[in-house]
Amino acid sequence: MTNSGILWDDTMSLFRKIIHSRIFIVWGITLVTIAICLAIVLLLIANSKRTVIQDAPPELPNQANPTDMLPSLKEVNIFLLESTELELTPVRVELHLYAEPTEQLKQILSALIQTTPTNYRNPIPRGTLLNEVYIDTQKTAYLDFSHHLADGQIGGTTAEFMSVNAILLTVFNALPDAVKHVQILIDGKEVETLAGHLNISQPLRY
Amino acid sequence: MWLRTFETIKLFLFIFLLVSATHGFAQVKTVRFVDGEGDILNEVEYILHDEHIYLSVESLKSVFDPEMKHSYHTPSKQLTIKTKDKVIKVWMGNPSVNIDDGRQVITLTVPPRIINGQQKIPISFFQEVLPELDDVSVIYKPELQRVRIMQNNSFPSDIPKNNRLWTVIIDPGHGGEKDVGCKSQTGIYEKDVVLSVAKAIKAQSKQHGFSIHLTREQDVNKSRQQRYQIANRFKGRLFISLHCNSSFSQNHKGIRLYLNNPYGQLQFRTAPIPKFGDKDLNIRTQANYLQQSKKFATVLEKELNFFAKDPIVISEFPIIALNDVFMPAVLIELGYLSNLDDTARLSNQDHISELAQTIVRAIQIYSAKVRQTAKPDDQTSAESSNPIER
Repeated sequence: MTNSGILWDDTMSLFRKIIHSRIFIVWGITLVTIAICLAIVLLLIANSKRTVIQDAPPELPNQANPTDMLPSLKEVNIFLLESTELELTPVRVELHLYAEPTEQLKQILSALIQTTPTNYRNPIPRGTLLNEVYIDTQKTAYLDFSHHLADGQIGGTTAEFMSVNAILLTVFNALPDAVKHVQILIDGKEVETLAGHLNISQPLRY
Repeated sequence: MWLRTFETIKLFLFIFLLVSATHGFAQVKTVRFVDGEGDILNEVEYILHDEHIYLSVESLKSVFDPEMKHSYHTPSKQLTIKTKDKVIKVWMGNPSVNIDDGRQVITLTVPPRIINGQQKIPISFFQEVLPELDDVSVIYKPELQRVRIMQNNSFPSDIPKNNRLWTVIIDPGHGGEKDVGCKSQTGIYEKDVVLSVAKAIKAQSKQHGFSIHLTREQDVNKSRQQRYQIANRFKGRLFISLHCNSSFSQNHKGIRLYLNNPYGQLQFRTAPIPKFGDKDLNIRTQANYLQQSKKFATVLEKELNFFAKDPIVISEFPIIALNDVFMPAVLIELGYLSNLDDTARLSNQDHISELAQTIVRAIQIYSAKVRQTAKPDDQTSAESSNPIER
C-alpha cells in the first residue's frame, strides 16, 4: 500500500516536474504558433480561391465543350467608306468574339456602328443602335436596328444603298456559313425602305 | 573640248525650251463624235490654235463619209473634197467654201489653216457645211468637246394621231414640308429640282404631241400608294421617277439610272413566287416589264451620254419607288446634290431645260421603237409573259 502510495507520489512529482519544465513551455508555445500559422495560411488559400472563381466568365448554357465559351481575340472586317474613295472598303478590327453566331453578329455589328477611324465615313447614321439579332433555321439573320437607321438617312439612292451594303458586306464577310440572307428590321418591324428608294421588305443577299 | 560640251548643253536646253513652248501653244486633246443613236463614231485629236479648235481633214472621213476623197494643191493652198456626190473647195486662210463650182458659197466663221505643215479644218466647219451636203443636223457642245451628227430621218418627224393616247407618267420624287429629299450645301432641295425638271418635260413634250402626266404638280407630299395609283389609273406606257442623288463621298457625281429588279445586284431570298389567282405577284416588282424598262434605259443612256460630262451608270436593284406600277419604269437620279459640280449644274436653268429636252427625245425614240415592233394593242399581252432572268 505504502509502496503504491510512494509510486503515486513519485509519478505526480515527476509529472509536476515535467509541467513546470522549460522544455514543455517552449514546445507548447512553438506548437500553438505553428497551428495558428497553418490556420492563417489555410484561410488565406481558401479566400484566394474564392476570388479566382468570381473572375471566371459566366457559364453559358447548352455548351458541350467549356473551352468554346471563352471569348477569343479575332480579326474581323467591317466595311466603311474612305473619304476619297467611291466604294466601301474593309477596315480590320480586333474583337473578343464569342463562339455563338448570334452573339458574334451582335458584337460585329456593334463594332460597325461604333467604329469610324479618321479619314473614314461611316454609312450607318449616327445614333443608330442594334436592338436585337436573331438567326432562323434557314440561315436568315434578322437584324433589328433603332429608328435612327431610317431617320438619319441623308437621302439619295447611293447613300441608302451604302448603308444597306455596309451591313450586308460586314455580315456576309464575317459569317459566310452561318448567314445566307439578311433582313433589316426597324424597331422590331419589317419596313419597305430606309429612305424611299431601296426595297428592303424582304431578306436580301448578293 | 570643254567649250564644246558647254555648247552641247546649251543646244539641248534650247531644244527643250522650244519643244515645251510649242507644246503649250498647241495642246493635243480629243473631240468626241456621236451619231443620232447616241453611239460614239470616233474620238478625234484636235489642235487649239488662236482659241479655235482645228481637226484634220481625215476626221471628216471617219465621222461623216467613209468614201470621201480629198486632194491638196500647195501653190494655190486649195483643198478639194469629194463627198456625197459633191465637190467642195476650200482655201487655207480663207473663210469661204465653194460647193459644186460656185453653185453654193458658204462663209465660215473661222477659216481653215495650215498648222504644223498640215491642212486643218475648224470645228465650226462641221456645223456650217455638213447640213448643206446631206440631210443631217449637227449639234456641237463646246464645253464637253462633243459633236453629234444626226440623220434627220432617224426618227419619225410626223406625229402619229394615236400619240395622244401614249401617256408617260413623270413622278417627281419627295415633296411637301416634311419630305424635302436630299439637300445641297448651297441649300437647294431635291423636291424642287425634280419638280422643275418634270414641269420642263411636260412643257417640251407638248410640241411632240405626247400626253404627259405628273404624279405631283406642286410642292405637296404624296405617298407611294398615291403615286402608283395615279400611274395605273392614267394607263401610262412609261413611268419615269425623277430623283436627285446623295452620297457620303463628295466625289460621287453624274447621272444614274435604276431599274426595279428584285434579282439584280441585291437579291431577294429565292422563295417560291407567290401565286394570286392565275397571275403571280411578281407583277408588283416590275419583273414583267424588265426587258422594256431596260430598252428605255439604254435609249436614255445614249441620249444622256452626249449631254452629260460623266458616264451614265445603269443599276438594277429592288427599287421600292418603282413597285406596283404596271408599265416599264426607270428611276433617274439627275445628279448628286452632295457634289459641288453636280449641284452647280442642277441650279442652272439651262441645264434643267437641256435635261428635260434629252429625256423627251429619249421618250420619242423609245416610243417610235415600241410602235415599230408592236402595235399599241399588244402592250397588254406583255403582262402575261414572265421574263425573269436569273
